[in-house]
Amino acid sequence: MARFVAVTPSQQNNQLSFSPLASSLSDFSGTKLHCSHIHFKRKQWQTKSASFYVSASSNKKILIMGGTRFIGVFLSRLLVKEGHQVTLFTRGKAPVTQQLPGESDSDYADFSSKILHLKGDRQDFEFVKSSLSAQGFDVVYDINGREAVEVEPILDALPNMEQFIYCSSAGVYLKSDLLPHAEVDAVDPKSRHKGKLETESLLQSRGVNWTSIRPVYIYGPLNYNPVEEWFFHRLKAGRPIPIPSSGLQITQLGHVKDLARAFVQVLGNDKASKAIFNISGEKYVTFDGLARACAKAGGFPEPELIHYNPKDYDFGKKKAFPFRDQHFFASTEKSKSVLGFENEFDLVEGLTDSYNLDFGRGTYRKEADFSTDDIILGKTLVSV
Amino acid sequence: MATLSSSSASLLFSASSSNLFPLSHSSTSSRLSFSSSLHSSSASLFSASSPTFLAYPSSSSRLSSISASAAEKKKVLIVNTNSGGHAVIGFYFAKELLGSGHSVTILTVGEESSDKMKKPPFNRFSEIVSAGGSTVWGNPADVGSIVGGEVFDVVLDNNGKDLETVRPVIDWAKSSGAKQFLFISSAGIYKTTDEPPHVEGDTVKADAGHVAVEKYLEESFSNWASFRPQYMIGSGNNKDCEEWFFDRIVRDRPVPIPGSGLQLTNITHVRDLSSMLTLAVEKPEAARNSIFNCVSNRAVTLDGMAKLCAKAAGRPVNIVHYDPKAVGVDAKKAFPFRNMHFYAEPRAAQTKLGWSSTTYLPEDLKERFEEYVKIGRDKKTIQFELDDKILEALKVPVPV
Repeated sequence: MARFVAVTPSQQNNQLSFSPLASSLSDFSGTKLHCSHIHFKRKQWQTKSASFYVSASSNKKILIMGGTRFIGVFLSRLLVKEGHQVTLFTRGKAPVTQQLPGESDSDYADFSSKILHLKGDRQDFEFVKSSLSAQGFDVVYDINGREAVEVEPILDALPNMEQFIYCSSAGVYLKSDLLPHAEVDAVDPKSRHKGKLETESLLQSRGVNWTSIRPVYIYGPLNYNPVEEWFFHRLKAGRPIPIPSSGLQITQLGHVKDLARAFVQVLGNDKASKAIFNISGEKYVTFDGLARACAKAGGFPEPELIHYNPKDYDFGKKKAFPFRDQHFFASTEKSKSVLGFENEFDLVEGLTDSYNLDFGRGTYRKEADFSTDDIILGKTLVSV
Repeated sequence: MATLSSSSASLLFSASSSNLFPLSHSSTSSRLSFSSSLHSSSASLFSASSPTFLAYPSSSSRLSSISASAAEKKKVLIVNTNSGGHAVIGFYFAKELLGSGHSVTILTVGEESSDKMKKPPFNRFSEIVSAGGSTVWGNPADVGSIVGGEVFDVVLDNNGKDLETVRPVIDWAKSSGAKQFLFISSAGIYKTTDEPPHVEGDTVKADAGHVAVEKYLEESFSNWASFRPQYMIGSGNNKDCEEWFFDRIVRDRPVPIPGSGLQLTNITHVRDLSSMLTLAVEKPEAARNSIFNCVSNRAVTLDGMAKLCAKAAGRPVNIVHYDPKAVGVDAKKAFPFRNMHFYAEPRAAQTKLGWSSTTYLPEDLKERFEEYVKIGRDKKTIQFELDDKILEALKVPVPV
């Protein structure tokens, strides 16, 4: 049986006049390294974001399902900084808090003194319902939910919930020859992410005030999905980068800190009520271009790119490349026009942030595995 | 980065103010209501809601024309090229302006009696005249005398590709007191990038003729706007676009596409270009000193375009990929689109003008195919020399 952690009263903080950009800079201060080319545009964004942020009007009691791995790590810090009472619901397998690379000791101490933990297994629906109902949260961020059944007990437990904010996925979009994917587009009920779709449908049917965010590929320090890490391993090893087919496939990366800010931006925001938003980078990128951007970010020389026909190989269960072998990107115009959302990071800046705070410090999640590379490099190249 | 600095600055400043424009918000919420019908559909994009899609945009353009009639009527001069892919822009723009109650003169380069005038859209200029527009011909360098000293509020140059050709028009417009100058530039001036799409403010090729015109406008005209289009479809088009695919599909010939077929491009219905230009005329302050990518809000792959054309024609398609160098053909001659990603998005128009795209290729290509058959082009005898060379090299059989 899980224990309840005693809820510590949060500090009174009624002053919520800030801009998300300023708070993110101060929260992640020291963790964001300035690039040599500070764009004129960033200063404009600071002014813009300040005027467009719809600040939550009061401290809220917020529950994050998850929050100890990637998105939630950054999101929880922003919410705590804004004065909300934030609880993380996790099994406790990972430490509830860990100091971020570049995070000052005092910032970390402040955060870890305020963050609360509700230990439990979200697959134990009875426990979810009873524990949440006992605590009574105003807002729930579901960052790690995959299936609609996992969300039902949360909705049942909190009938007066002000808002349910869901981390969905652009993976729900039906593959199309017309791109980018927009929120109005057809979705694929057979996709690998159909659980996200079913969750969105559940939310729509239940009458709760919900918001759904569909990211594309997320990157940034602490990424557990080997996106940028995959490139960094090869660049560090001085290996050529094997890219399937033409390398012209277009994908899109969004920095985790920008995503966290978007999650905060929809909190208590009428414009986000019962709405779906794609959140990702301002620009898209080709596979070849991404390899080059990673090289720039890590200060590596221009990489050698090897293109191969994936149909010529059988890699078994292994993934030879971290991205879907197709175009995959989504328009963020709606988030910009409705929410005033703005990315702080462009691609090279964001990859540099990730490199300097994570891989470049010698940390990564998965060991380098060049076995599929060696298979590719061992065969005669087939021109596509 | 060799960008037009003031235009990128104006994009940033205007973007912040135009987020407050109700029009951009309402166009978003209209898309939201459209989404619920698509969301329930598990089928492809060709859902039953597409007629709704078409109905919505025409009513919104009607809305903007209603607001225009309450607002100022403008006298607009269009200096129009006499050939090529951009020719049709002036034709649609003239008709839309006239429909909204503005006054229009269209000055076509060259002579009324030239053979070029026998082709569309020129052979349909009676539509402009019967709608109340004036049509004149001549050399744009002599624009002042051609229009007989008449003064215009707005001048659109849809002709020149370099400063030498456009400068006389700009100078005359300025000295005659025109308040707004619009220029049809080209999205082809963007430098290739690893990070599509091309957005307004991105680096352009410094030596491009259109760039020199845009720079000159920036220096010399108080209210200018430059529109960068890509490829267009629409009745009255002077240059083949979708026809290239239809020609092969109806004759059951393979469709040879260079490279992987994954290259993205933007193919826009010319009515979208016209509506963007019209919005700029009716909202001159919002359009002031801005660059606008004059394209729809969706890109399509080259393979995708072939498939959509086949679907519109109700026939199968056999796409064959080839490497132009290996086969020994000039891809520019063999294929009507650039053999690379060529992909811009209309972000400035959406943000600053509250403009929305209405192009929807699955529906628009059906209408295009109907016309293709109506004019009998499906029965025309066509030589496919370059295709045959490609297919021969690839050893692909061709039906006799």
